[in-house]
Amino acid sequence: MRLVGVSHPIQDARGKATGRARYAADMSLPHMTHVAMVFSTIPHGYVTAVDGSEALAVEGVYGVFHCFNTPEYCFNRYRSQYSQTLPLEEPVFAKRVRFVGDRVAAVAARDMETARRAAALVKVTYEELPCALTFEEALEGVNCLEGEEAVKDEFTVEVGEPPRADGLVEVTACTELGRLHHAAMEPHVCVADYDSDLDELTLYSPNQSVHGVRTVVADMLEMPYNRVRVVKTTMGGSFGSKQEWTVEPVAAAVARRLRRPVKLVYDRAEVMRSIVCRGPMRAEMTMRFHKDGLLASVELELLSDAGAYIANSADYARTLVGKMFRCYRIPYGRAHIRLVSSNTPVSGSFRGWSSPEVALMLEHGMEKAARALDMDPVQLRLKNVLLPGDTDPKSGVPIEEIRTRECLLRGAERFRWAERRREDAAFNASNDRFRRGTAVACAGHGNTYYPRYNDFASAEMRMCEDGSVQVEVSIHDHGCGTGAAFQMIVAEALELPLDKVRLKEADTAHTPFDFGCYASRGIFVVGRAAQLCARSLREEILKAAAHKLETTPDRLYFEGPAVRSEDDPAVSLSYQEVAWYSLGTLCRELTAQAKHTVDSNPGVTGTHFAQVEVDTWTGLTRVLDYLAVHDVGQSINPEMCAAQIQGAAQMGCGAALREEIEISPKGQGTCSLSKYHLMNAADLPLIQVELIQDGRSQDGPYGAKSVGEVSFAPAAPAAAAAVNQALGSDLGRIPMTPDRILEYIAKEGC
Amino acid sequence: MKLDFFVNDEAVSLETEPQRRLLDLLREDLGLTGTKEGCSEGECGACTVLLDGKAVHSCLTLAAQLQGRHVTTIEGLEKNGELDILQRCFVEEIAIQCGFCTTGMIMSAKALLLQNPNPTPKEIRTALSGNICRCSGYVQIVNAVSRAASEMGGGV
Repeated sequence: MRLVGVSHPIQDARGKATGRARYAADMSLPHMTHVAMVFSTIPHGYVTAVDGSEALAVEGVYGVFHCFNTPEYCFNRYRSQYSQTLPLEEPVFAKRVRFVGDRVAAVAARDMETARRAAALVKVTYEELPCALTFEEALEGVNCLEGEEAVKDEFTVEVGEPPRADGLVEVTACTELGRLHHAAMEPHVCVADYDSDLDELTLYSPNQSVHGVRTVVADMLEMPYNRVRVVKTTMGGSFGSKQEWTVEPVAAAVARRLRRPVKLVYDRAEVMRSIVCRGPMRAEMTMRFHKDGLLASVELELLSDAGAYIANSADYARTLVGKMFRCYRIPYGRAHIRLVSSNTPVSGSFRGWSSPEVALMLEHGMEKAARALDMDPVQLRLKNVLLPGDTDPKSGVPIEEIRTRECLLRGAERFRWAERRREDAAFNASNDRFRRGTAVACAGHGNTYYPRYNDFASAEMRMCEDGSVQVEVSIHDHGCGTGAAFQMIVAEALELPLDKVRLKEADTAHTPFDFGCYASRGIFVVGRAAQLCARSLREEILKAAAHKLETTPDRLYFEGPAVRSEDDPAVSLSYQEVAWYSLGTLCRELTAQAKHTVDSNPGVTGTHFAQVEVDTWTGLTRVLDYLAVHDVGQSINPEMCAAQIQGAAQMGCGAALREEIEISPKGQGTCSLSKYHLMNAADLPLIQVELIQDGRSQDGPYGAKSVGEVSFAPAAPAAAAAVNQALGSDLGRIPMTPDRILEYIAKEGC
Repeated sequence: MKLDFFVNDEAVSLETEPQRRLLDLLREDLGLTGTKEGCSEGECGACTVLLDGKAVHSCLTLAAQLQGRHVTTIEGLEKNGELDILQRCFVEEIAIQCGFCTTGMIMSAKALLLQNPNPTPKEIRTALSGNICRCSGYVQIVNAVSRAASEMGGGV
C-alpha cells in the first residue's frame, strides 16, 4: 500500500503548530455574549433563593439565569441516540442540587472577565439535605428522599457453566478505583448562535457526536431537529469527557433566551468539579484456576458509584461485564453489580468505557494467581489468552484473528522479562531504600458497540471538476488524527495523492447521520464506510468512462488515478477527464454514497510491560521502563498509533500511581492541577511501542482494528502490578499514592 | 493604566487594568488566540509565551508587569509564511495530536533552545516538565525538539 501503513502528520498539524487552528474558545461572533456559571457550593439541598441583583448592577451584564426565572429545561447528558429512552434527570439550572458543582445559575455579560466577576456576586441561598459522599453512605441511602431507593440498579449476568472440577486454586482480588479526571487539555466549551428570525440554533463545540447533541438539545428546546445545527469544532482532547453533553444544553438555552450568540467556556476548576469524572468502583473478583494454570471461572462482585446523576452509569456497568470476556478464555463468568448514587461529581464515559477498570480487576487477580500457582505471570497469561478462531462467549461474536499471544512473547523478549525480573530481585536484595518491580498486563476491548446495539455508518463523496474529491462523513477527531486517517483510507482506495482528498468534520447540516466517534468505532466502522464509498465512486468513474469510450465498465480498469482499457493500450483517462465528461455530456456529477452495517467486532488487545522503582522512604514510584505491544490489525497511520499508545501509557501510569479526584468531608472534589498530578515529560521514561499488524480484521478498512481506547486498558494494570511486584504487596486501592504505599510499608514492612 | 509593550516585535499601546492577565490581553484584546488557557494557574503550560526571551505562563503574568517589555507568542514564530524550525519539526516528527498543548510546548522549547542550543533528551524533558501533553507520552515532542536543535546547528 502506498499511504496506509505509512506515517503522516495529522491533517491539521500545521494549524496547530502555528496557533491558527481554531478551537471553539477561539471563536468570536458578532454581538456575542459571554456566559459564566454559578455552581452549587453544597453537596445536596434545595436552592431556596437566587439573588442576582449585585451581579446585574455590574456594567455590561445582560442577565442572570436560574431555576426561578428560566423554563425548567431538563435533559439526559448521556443520551446520544434518538431512540434512547432515558430519564430527563438533569436540569439546566438545578433547584435540587446534588453535588458541589451542580449548575445553579448563569451570568451573561459583554466579555468573559465581566461575566466571571459578576457570577461571583450572585448570592444563592440553600436548604441543605443530608448527603452521601462515600459508598457506605450511599448504600445506606442517607441522601435518599421519600420514595427513592439507595441502590439505583442491580443485576447479575452469568456466562457459561460453573466449573465442576475439584481441587481448583482460588484467589480473590479486592480492587478499589478512585475517581479520575480526563484532563483533556482543552476545557469544555460551547458557542451557541441563535437566529430568532429563522428560529435556527447553531452550536459549535468539541463533542463526540453532533447528532447526539442535536437530539438532546432539540428535544429539550422542543425545536425541529432540522433547525438545530451542531458543528464539531477542533477538539483539544476528550478521552470520553466530551461524549456527554454538559455545556451544550446550557449555551443553547441561554442563547435562545437572549436571542444572540453566547460563548460558554469552563475553566479547569469548573471542568474538574462539574463536568464528569471516571467513577469510583469497589470490586471483589474471585478467580478459580486448574492446577496447571487454566482459568476455570471468574466471579465479580462490583459496587459502582454513579455520582450525582445516573447518566451512563447503568450502561457502563453492563458494558463492563462484556469487557470481562475480551482478553482471556473464561469458561464461566458471573458478575453481580450494584449501582449507587452519591452527592459527588457525575461518573461517566472515560477512555476504554470500563475495559481499563475490569482489566485492573482481572490483572490484579492474575497477579495473585501467578503467586498462588507459583507460575510466571507471562506463562500464566499465555495459557489463558483468547486465540484466533475463538468466540466471545458473552456476545457470541467471533474474535477472528487475535495476537495477544504474540504480543506476550514478543514483549517478554524485547523487555528482557526473565532477566529483568532476576535483576530486580538482585537489586532489591542489595538495596535498603529502593524496590524495583517488573510486571505485565494484558487487556482487550472492542471496535464498535455491536452487537450490544446495531451499528452502521454512512459516507458520501463527490468528485470535483479537476478530479479531486470531497468526502462527507460524520467524523469527530479527538485530536488523534482521525481526519488524516480518513484521508489516507480514501486516497489509498482512489489511488490519489493525499491532498486531492478533502474532508471536513461532523456537521449536522452537511454530513450524514452518525452515532458519533466513541466505542472505538471511528476507523473500524466509519472508516470502513469511507473505504466502501471510495470503491463505489470508482465504479461511477468506470461507468462514465465506459460511456465516453463506448465500451462496458468490465473492459476497463484502474492504473493509479487513471482509467485504462483492456482493449486499447493507448487509452488513459484521468479522473479530471472523466469528471468533465460526466458533467458536460452525461449531465451528472460523479458522486457516491455508501453504508456499512456492522456485523463483526474482532478481538483487539494490548500487552504492556512496566518496570518501576518504589522509594520506600517517600512512597514515590518512578517508572523506569515501559513497553507496549499492540495487536492493531493493519495500522493506518503507525506513528500516530504509537503516539496514542504512549499517551495511554502516560495516562495509565498516572491512574495507577497518582491521579485521583478526592472528595473532602464537605463534598468538594479536587479541582486543581496543582493537586491532581499528571505525568509530565520528566516523569516518564522513553515509552517503547511495538505494533503487531498481521492479526487483521475482516471488516475494518484494510484490516484495521481499534487502538485509542484499548491502549489505555492494560496501562494502569501493568504499572500497578509492578508496584506490587516491587513491594511483594497486594495493594488493590488505585491509585497507589505515596501515602498508601507508606501506609502499607508501615503496616507490613517490605 | 496605559500599557506600552511589544508583542511579536510590534509596538502595542493599550488602556487596560493593571491586574489583567497577559493571557486575556493576548486572546481578547489582540486576537492572538494561538495562546491557550488550560488550567489558569500555571500548572499545564498551555499558555506559555516568551517574556524578554524567557518562558512565562501568560495566565500568571499581569499587565502591570509588561511595561516596555517584549512578548513573543506562537504567532510571532512564523516568518514570511515559513514555519519556525521548531514548528516544522513538531509537524514532521508527528509531535502534534489534539494540539491544545502544542503552542505552549513550542514556546517552552523555544526558550530552552535560546538558553541551551544543544540540549540532551533529559534536559529537554526537564525544560518541558511544566507543559502537560495528555495525548502523548512526550516521545515525539522530545524528538522534535532534539531535531530542531540539531537542524539549527547549535544556533537559534
